[in-house]
Amino acid sequence: MSGRRVALVGGGLSVFGVRAATWGELVQEAGRALFARLPELAGKDVDSLFVGAAQPERFAFQSHVAPLAAELLGLRPWKVVQRTELACASGQSAIRSAYAAIAAGLSDVAVAVGVEKMNLPSMAEANTSMADVLDRPWDGVQGATAPPFFAMCAQRHMKEFGTTPEQMARVSLKNHAFANSNPTAQFYEKRFTLEKLQKLPMVAPPLRLGDCSSMTDGAGAVLLVGEELARRYTDTPAWIAGTAQSTDFHNLANLPSLTEWGALRRAGQELYRTSGLGPGDIDFAELHDCFTISEIIEYEDLGFCPKGSGGRFIEEGESELGGRVPVNPRGGLLGCGHPLGATGIAQAVEVLDQFQSRVPPARRVAGAEVAMVHNLSGSANVHSLMLYRRGN
Amino acid sequence: MAATASSPAQRPEVSSTQEARTGASPPQGAGGEPPQRTPFLLDFYPLEDAHHTRISRFFDELRAGRFVTTWCPRDQKLLWPPRVVCPDCHGEDLSWKELPRSGHLYAFSAVLAGAPLGMESQVPFVVGLVELQGVPLRIFSRIAPATYDRLEIGDPVELETYPVPGDRVFFRFRPTSPR
Ligand SMILES: [Zn+2]
Repeated sequence: MSGRRVALVGGGLSVFGVRAATWGELVQEAGRALFARLPELAGKDVDSLFVGAAQPERFAFQSHVAPLAAELLGLRPWKVVQRTELACASGQSAIRSAYAAIAAGLSDVAVAVGVEKMNLPSMAEANTSMADVLDRPWDGVQGATAPPFFAMCAQRHMKEFGTTPEQMARVSLKNHAFANSNPTAQFYEKRFTLEKLQKLPMVAPPLRLGDCSSMTDGAGAVLLVGEELARRYTDTPAWIAGTAQSTDFHNLANLPSLTEWGALRRAGQELYRTSGLGPGDIDFAELHDCFTISEIIEYEDLGFCPKGSGGRFIEEGESELGGRVPVNPRGGLLGCGHPLGATGIAQAVEVLDQFQSRVPPARRVAGAEVAMVHNLSGSANVHSLMLYRRGN
Repeated sequence: MAATASSPAQRPEVSSTQEARTGASPPQGAGGEPPQRTPFLLDFYPLEDAHHTRISRFFDELRAGRFVTTWCPRDQKLLWPPRVVCPDCHGEDLSWKELPRSGHLYAFSAVLAGAPLGMESQVPFVVGLVELQGVPLRIFSRIAPATYDRLEIGDPVELETYPVPGDRVFFRFRPTSPR
């Protein structure tokens, strides 16, 4: 990492779920939470705004959303104001873009907002929007949405490596249990057992309802600043210690593998190389568990365990608190819901909350110093990673 | 002057007015039923005729029962979906090549819930990645008619075409050895 250091110094979230609130109201809730947490922050100091939003045109019939969000938050950014779109990774894209602007010296104080309003009066319309994430005239037209795509990944992983539906259900059980200590989670205080999860209806076999993250309404906001400004806002920032991204092609015919995500492997190696850290240095990870099988493949391709043994990694408790790498203490996308643009922001807020010991003991990773955040997007053909280090 | 990479070797068809494009026949149901107009931004199917795309040949061949895609002679490479420029060498001199109509299931699932607009009435439906016979291509497709529980990885499938409202055509794969 070269250039100016960048710190994540504050964050706030709306409650995630099926919300009686509009796109703009969710943005306001997240902004209010951010300003409430940072009394030293004045709107006039924010020089840049990045808005992570995957599909406001289709979900909220609204484009040009960055200036709209600025108005809702009372900001008048004069350095950079823009939206970032990368489907399920739109939120992290906002943070990466703010990071790049600050590291380059273009911005000093930037807000990254992430938001999605996914629950519509007609869920078929919402599902139509999900089907245009993939190559619409060739794959979407055939009925390709996320569940059947990740179901095929699960089917192949089961065939090639012997992964079981019970191992997948254990990912869901873990993340839902964590979500029980997170009042912003869609499934806060919703209790599940392994037996109950394995009896939920099939959505796209072999994936059941409990294997799939939800269509969720939610928003989040974080503040990023240049290194010399960090102490103005907090004694314990989260320093951005690395970031990486890698891509495979888009049409499903041009994906090299369903069970080994090459782009994730390459992004992970780049992150480890540039940060000088390795999988063994990660105190906890917020991984993109859009489906249970995703988290299992991510353990493998990030090097937490050998290829094919992701099922055993969860079974043996290695991703629980006290395991080799605790994964998704926030509750994950499975437990918190997955408002596309907001997810990456909420994961970053969890990192800061963990570093600042603001989370309840049920999900606290004691003494955490290094955290990884991962998002995939589309057909797992793009992977985005961030590494944070606790500041003292 | 020699053509440079930034000047197209072949000038594509350009209409000076939007009216020229609307000469295409209006959307109409395949069975002669009253025209069914899906709003463009909710219509999954591409506009297939030469007024709207430079790969209308793909759909013309499909209508005649042939499954084709583009081939880059310079890279000796099949390009799927059909392209007007090779993404590898950026050449425009692509040719059409016929693809096998048969293949087998590499992976598959079924949509039991959460279908997009226009597909709700088809639920449950099976989708899968079809590995074509003898060519290095796995194409995502609807698998029909099919029941998820009766399929296995490796099952043989065969291409078939079907009409789409608006005088259009598309393809899917049908299992050839029903269990
Ligand atoms: Zn070529």
